Amino acid sequence: MSGFFENYGFLIVTIVQQALLGLSIYFPLMAGQLSLASIGFYSLGGYVAAIMGTHPYFAPWRAALGFFMFPLEWLFALILGVVLGIAVGYPALRLRGIYLALATIAFVQVVNVAVLNMPVAGGAVGIFGIPQAFESRLDYIWFFGPLFALAMFVVYRITAIGRGLAFFAVREDELAAGAMGVRTTANKVTAFVLGCALAAVTGAMSAPFLNTWNARQGTFDASVTCLAYVLIGGSRSLWGPLFGAALLVSLPEVLRPLKDSRMILNGVVLVAVCVYLPQGLMGGLAALRTRLAAGRGGVA
Amino acid sequence: MDFAWLLQSLLNGLSIGSVYAVFALGYTLVFSILGIINFAHGAVFTLGAYLTYALAVGRFGINGLLSDLSLPLTLPFPAALLVGALLSGLAGMAVERLAFKPLRRRGADPLLALVSSLGVALIVVNLIQYLVGAEIYSFPSDIFGDLPMAVIFSVGGKPVAVRTIQIILFAASMVMLAGLGWFIGRTRGGKALRATAENADTASLLGISVNRFILGTFFISGLLGGLSGTLIGVSFGIAGPYFGVSYGLKGLAVIVLGGLGSIPGAVLGGLVIGLGEAFLPPDMSSYKEAVAFVLLFAILLVRPQGLLGGRLEQKV
Repeated sequence: MSGFFENYGFLIVTIVQQALLGLSIYFPLMAGQLSLASIGFYSLGGYVAAIMGTHPYFAPWRAALGFFMFPLEWLFALILGVVLGIAVGYPALRLRGIYLALATIAFVQVVNVAVLNMPVAGGAVGIFGIPQAFESRLDYIWFFGPLFALAMFVVYRITAIGRGLAFFAVREDELAAGAMGVRTTANKVTAFVLGCALAAVTGAMSAPFLNTWNARQGTFDASVTCLAYVLIGGSRSLWGPLFGAALLVSLPEVLRPLKDSRMILNGVVLVAVCVYLPQGLMGGLAALRTRLAAGRGGVA
Repeated sequence: MDFAWLLQSLLNGLSIGSVYAVFALGYTLVFSILGIINFAHGAVFTLGAYLTYALAVGRFGINGLLSDLSLPLTLPFPAALLVGALLSGLAGMAVERLAFKPLRRRGADPLLALVSSLGVALIVVNLIQYLVGAEIYSFPSDIFGDLPMAVIFSVGGKPVAVRTIQIILFAASMVMLAGLGWFIGRTRGGKALRATAENADTASLLGISVNRFILGTFFISGLLGGLSGTLIGVSFGIAGPYFGVSYGLKGLAVIVLGGLGSIPGAVLGGLVIGLGEAFLPPDMSSYKEAVAFVLLFAILLVRPQGLLGGRLEQKV
């Protein structure tokens, strides 16, 4: 068993880390809003942690706080995520349809150009030698694991209370929800900001995990990958992001012999899932279960 | 802030802005008919540039599967541009068949079409990388024959350069825009296209073969994409298979700025963003790539329907 964790431990930690990004896209999707902003907030959260972890200005803080510097970084990233999330989400979410997706793509691009031009973020080279929280990278599961559990618990609880029902109402029919007195914009912004905050904190945890941080963490391609986790896993299931991340993170390992052509196959998987499994893996499983149950009960 | 600088920026802005307009029209046409955004448009843009390069130069670099291959014959640049654009049109049709039609038939969530088109883009871009490598390709400087590289005027004692490629960019874009305007506004096919965009169900009841017109729209869209890809590639070089991604995203800013689904809006949006980039003060030039997206945000704040978009309707 210990051998298993030595071989696959890093893969498992990465899957949980990526699943967190998937979940951050799942939040706005609960209210029917497609956002590609997560990776921008992830990038910014990582820069917060990287700068607080390496910049001389924060040296006295680090000396005073020791290990507790890490939670402080998460807190700063969280605040940044919430404030920026409201600033980005509010103008775009007054509108219906595709506008949020477009505004968030713009946000990711602006963040990218901005960090490349900020001397404190290290330009194109980025920031190196971010202090480690643990000796072994596998131990980062103690960062990502609890955050993942917390995020899953929030999703699970939300679906059971009025707020979650309001999200689903907006997702199913925004106009009808509005007519029934649901404050559609406020609900959309709430769902969006939850995702932004989660992505920012995930970024702040990932900077020490990856040891270096640069603008390549926040590209458009990466945000598409996060979206793919959710849609391939199943955009209507709580477990979808985890399953999607598990599949897509391990796929390159499995397909390693294919080398250069494996990204082509990634695209093929994306198209095939959209066409043949429009509800994702979890949706496909549910449909299969229904069919099997119907078969046993003898109901045609 | 002298007059020569203003004139030079105006020239630069108009020539690049007109290409943005042609490229963005590819998005607009598909959006006005299907109400969704074709995220593979940037990949078709890239493909167009590579196809024209292959047809006009006929040799590839040192990486990728086709590294040692050279084509038996090459075309003169104008012919290569045309054939490259037509082939890109066919690629646009393939995108419709692969990413959009299967989902439409199943009545799937429109968000999925977005992802499936991104999937096709991923396939196209990585296929290009697999075949010809990730290196930079530049068109040779003699593709325009004997035309000089640039004509230089003197305005108030300062030089203003009009590059040949800028004239070609602007002229080719204007020809495409005029042709498209004529087709949509003045022909029977264009009328049927407008009817399909207005209401596909009614159009099909009136005997318009909707699926054929959707396919035709993707052809035109791909043609516009491939053509603009070539023009940008000739002007700035092809910076690898991913060079279309940033232009693809910029094109989205263009259509939101002009108003989603509005054809004059796409043209205006393209010119505004081209000029906005050109008039950026020289000491802020490292922020050039952000101009389009800052404008997109600004328009969402003050006039979300875009510069020329109609009132956003709330359909039940």
